[in-house]
Amino acid sequence: MKHISILIAAILFSILFYEQSIGLNLALFAIVSMVVLLCQDASPFKEKRVWVIAAAYLFTAVMVFVHDSTLAIVANCISFFTLVGAVSQSGTSIYIYWLNGIYSTIAGAFHRQVDRNDASAKSSWKQHLDLKHLAKLIGIPLVFIILFILLYQHGNPVFEKLIGKISFEFINFQWLLFTLMGYYLFSNMSQPVQVEPATSKDLKLLNALSKSENFSEAPLKKEHQLGTTLLGLLNLLLVFYIITDIVSMSTSEVSAASDLSNQVHNGINTLIDSIIIAIIIILYFFRGNLNFYAENKMLKIISFVWIGLNVVLIGLIVIKNQSYISSFGLTYKRIGVHIYILMTLIGLVTTFLKVLHIKNLAYLFRKNLQVAFTLLILLSGVNWDNTITKYNLTQADDFDISYLINLSNRNATVLEALKNERPISETDKRAIELKYQNYETDLQQRHWQEFTYESFRLNTNSKDPDSE
Amino acid sequence: MNLPNNLGKSTLLACIIFWSILALEISDSQMLPYFLLMVIPIFICVTIVIVCTICPVFWLLQKDSLDKIRIFKTFFPYYAICAFGICAFGIISTNFEIFVTAFFTAAYVTTCQSWVWFTKETS
Repeated sequence: MKHISILIAAILFSILFYEQSIGLNLALFAIVSMVVLLCQDASPFKEKRVWVIAAAYLFTAVMVFVHDSTLAIVANCISFFTLVGAVSQSGTSIYIYWLNGIYSTIAGAFHRQVDRNDASAKSSWKQHLDLKHLAKLIGIPLVFIILFILLYQHGNPVFEKLIGKISFEFINFQWLLFTLMGYYLFSNMSQPVQVEPATSKDLKLLNALSKSENFSEAPLKKEHQLGTTLLGLLNLLLVFYIITDIVSMSTSEVSAASDLSNQVHNGINTLIDSIIIAIIIILYFFRGNLNFYAENKMLKIISFVWIGLNVVLIGLIVIKNQSYISSFGLTYKRIGVHIYILMTLIGLVTTFLKVLHIKNLAYLFRKNLQVAFTLLILLSGVNWDNTITKYNLTQADDFDISYLINLSNRNATVLEALKNERPISETDKRAIELKYQNYETDLQQRHWQEFTYESFRLNTNSKDPDSE
Repeated sequence: MNLPNNLGKSTLLACIIFWSILALEISDSQMLPYFLLMVIPIFICVTIVIVCTICPVFWLLQKDSLDKIRIFKTFFPYYAICAFGICAFGIISTNFEIFVTAFFTAAYVTTCQSWVWFTKETS
């Protein structure tokens, strides 16, 4: 029964993906994958977190259909591996989900060959049937018959004529190979395997730090003094930097895009260096026994102040980046800066929690990666090309029209609708119209497997001219 | 470790996969001698890859009384992921060119199966 369901899924895989680009097929593949996973073993789905990951996977699949963006496709692939990893072993960290998910999907069949306990795993029909001998019995004569037919083909004209009449064109061998690949994929994901000893080690690794046996107050006192002095001085320096930055922002008048760009990029570089060094220093001092030192209160307070000052630094960068965006429009790089700043803020918050609740490095990795994964899923739900175009044409003081025209076709509809909102040259208007026409043609030429939400919308509009 | 046996089986497997994919494109029987001659470069490629990337793992670690199954379970996952990454990159960067696809598909499957054969030799 299990083999039949995998075989059906493999055939569906070929129907969905063979010689097709991405669209509706990835969303349907997600549903097929879920059904196969549930049919094979529903027990991992008793865990709430597996359902959450499954929901995230289905969400990204829907987003691929709705937005047809590379980000949604990447998020979908990552959530697929996460789901397979979670089904494999749900109690581990997210990075072990990824490891198990990728390994199960790409090499599960090879692992099972070694992992299999021959006596118990071989089903009874396989025990009675010598598969190796059967393969030899069919394979070897077949290879030699084909070989000799090809050799004799030019030996006499009658034989050549007869052989020439044989045609296997009705069999699409490439389609069969593709189905075989689908079978391999579904077979692997339906029986996920685990990477050892990484999985078992991760299961044993807790989030909390514990006091080591060689705990001694004397070296800790010196380390505490060093930490307090270092972080105290760095705090002073950072306060000074922030004050000068605020003064610089409030007094200087920047009108050129290049000046503001330089300011933001310099600020970002400072931020990157500052945050990385801050986290490394804090992790170094709070790596072990200093967490349990009775008089560590001062060091903790200074560390929290240091984290707080870095948050202020982040706030200043946000203001600079936002004023840059409102003056010169949205771009992918400027959105990237905002996302980076958000992730940095989250990194600082988790570092704060690590020190506050006496957690280890694994905690930091686990939480930060969980947040990064969640952020990726959420960001995949936005049509960024549309957002950039809409913002630039309706709210930004200035914008680069050629940048908007050169974005992917996903903004073609908005660009066409808003092209008269702002003063744009006739050449650019023609380029926008051409882009929209190309987009329409592309959507109309797609097979049903490649359909996106836009294809359905276009079909509905073309059937109902009154709606225009 | 029975290296010659492994190399023989791996070459045969690589040839079958390579030819299966390429046979779709080249159906002319005049090409048959070239197909047969391809066994030589395939054997050289298989030998180089197996001797340079798989054998050292077993040669170095079997001395440490690590049994083959343990070596396989510890190192094969990372090997498979890296090999898959390289092969997928090779295929995608050439825009699914059939010869490259056949080469990398054969390379990936053969190296993975070679690990299995080495592991199951005595265990």
